[in-house]
Amino acid sequence: MTTMVPLFDVTLRGLLSRRRTILLVLLAGLPVLIALLIRVAGGRPDADRILDTLVVRTVMPLVALVIGTASIGSEIEDGTAVYLMVKPIARWRIAVSKIVVAAGLTALLVVPAVVLTGVLLGSRNDTATTIVGFSVACLVGGTAYTAAFVALSVFTSRALLLGLAYVLIWEGVLAGLLEGTKFLSIRQATLGLAAAFGIKVPGDPLAPTISVIVLGTVLVGAVVLASWRLARFEVRGGD
Amino acid sequence: MTASPMPPSDQPPVASPSGTAAAAPNGTAPAAAIAPALEVDHVSRWYGNVVAVNDISFGLGPGVTGLLGPNGAGKSTLLHLMAGLLQPSAGRVLVEGASAWRRPAMYRHIGLVPEREAVHPYLTGREFARLNARLQGVADPDAAAGRAIATVDLTDAADRPIGTYSKGMRQRAKLAGALVHDPTILLLDEPFNGMDPRQRLHMMTLLRSMAADGRTILFSSHILEEVERLADSVLVVYAGRLAASGDFRSIRRLMTDRPHTFTVRSSDDRRLAAALMADPAVFGVELADGRVAIRTADYDGFTRALARIAKAGGVTLYEVRPTDDSLESVFSYLVRR
Repeated sequence: MTTMVPLFDVTLRGLLSRRRTILLVLLAGLPVLIALLIRVAGGRPDADRILDTLVVRTVMPLVALVIGTASIGSEIEDGTAVYLMVKPIARWRIAVSKIVVAAGLTALLVVPAVVLTGVLLGSRNDTATTIVGFSVACLVGGTAYTAAFVALSVFTSRALLLGLAYVLIWEGVLAGLLEGTKFLSIRQATLGLAAAFGIKVPGDPLAPTISVIVLGTVLVGAVVLASWRLARFEVRGGD
Repeated sequence: MTASPMPPSDQPPVASPSGTAAAAPNGTAPAAAIAPALEVDHVSRWYGNVVAVNDISFGLGPGVTGLLGPNGAGKSTLLHLMAGLLQPSAGRVLVEGASAWRRPAMYRHIGLVPEREAVHPYLTGREFARLNARLQGVADPDAAAGRAIATVDLTDAADRPIGTYSKGMRQRAKLAGALVHDPTILLLDEPFNGMDPRQRLHMMTLLRSMAADGRTILFSSHILEEVERLADSVLVVYAGRLAASGDFRSIRRLMTDRPHTFTVRSSDDRRLAAALMADPAVFGVELADGRVAIRTADYDGFTRALARIAKAGGVTLYEVRPTDDSLESVFSYLVRR
């Protein structure tokens, strides 16, 4: 664990660049802002709908995408990753550190957004259940998303683009049309987890047990794949 | 100093500095009994159809070795192979006797200064050195970082963000990061890039003293003067192949297909020239600008015979100067071959 502390430090400082932080705070603040506007305009409170459509389907994957692909992808791209690669540190430790920090930061942005949105709008059912259910689902789902995007960024320099395609095209369109692809959707598993708390989510999400298995598999798979890839990672010379 | 005989045209000249095990290019036994700290054994690396490094072998022991070659020759690829950052397509790289590829533990012995300038811009020089010390698991990272910063003469700017550094300062910060764990092997890719003459001199003195302490130091450069001033021996890489290795003056002497030239100032140039023409080692003499210019195929034979010939002819020698054993001369010959 001691050897991972400097990895946590450098990852966190790298992620908290001024521009990226502002973008992420704005993104995570979007549902809160909309909730506030609804409240001010006197609209009908319905936190479940906003949390489902805006947070789980949009904000959470995008925040995870930006943070996940930047945690090591940006270091690989700008060449600073070489300073990690020439250290006597097991590669799985690097992968786990990157995922832990990125997932923690994602949770730190998304979960408060869920809580604030829930508090501002309230639920037609039980507000506390909605807030707790979506918070837990976003914590676990956001971690799975982040881990997947960290792993993706170790394999390709186009992780941001591919991640966006996964969120918008695969999960946004295909997973809704093709029933069998739900098992490959982090979003569906996240909603399945929320449903386990008694929250009504639209459509037919995955069963809670299946959701946990899917999210767990994504998380473990991402750690294993990222570690495997980092162990074989090559840094090309300039000539 | 030992030197191998002139190899056939497709093999590089190999001169083995004493104390350094230099493996001959075709897998012959190392010249010295001391196991090299770093051994490159028939290593090739290709990217698709492009061969970046082609069947290179050598060994490195304590001392400073210059890795010389024009841009695009494969220097950085070779350094990255040695640093375990690239997998050889063929052959093997051994660090302290074990494979360099996929062995993070070897980085306890290695310090690397990569060519790319990128250093975490939000860290100060001291923080960067400290980060490297912590990642290396050094017992007292603060003290180690402070020592490394002082060693590279960066103390005054140590608490400024690296993003505000000049190129030369960034190079020194990178070197500080590579020194924090007191490595026995240092691999430096174009370490003098962007340094002013004073910084360059300081760095050269530092590297020389580290080599004198028994460290194995390999630095790449395309600046001949840097290599000539600093390196005990050179590895000349051209088009992915090892063109020559060893002390460059020894390499020059192995180039027997190219005459050695000397200029001599004496008390009687004309008489000396006439006497020299009678010597079988000499096949060209020219009188010009108050000097005798001599061409010979036998470096050692000529240098032994010159004093004897001058004495026999009653000529006093004022100055004897070899004119083509500079690294520049050797390098330009090797890359044109």
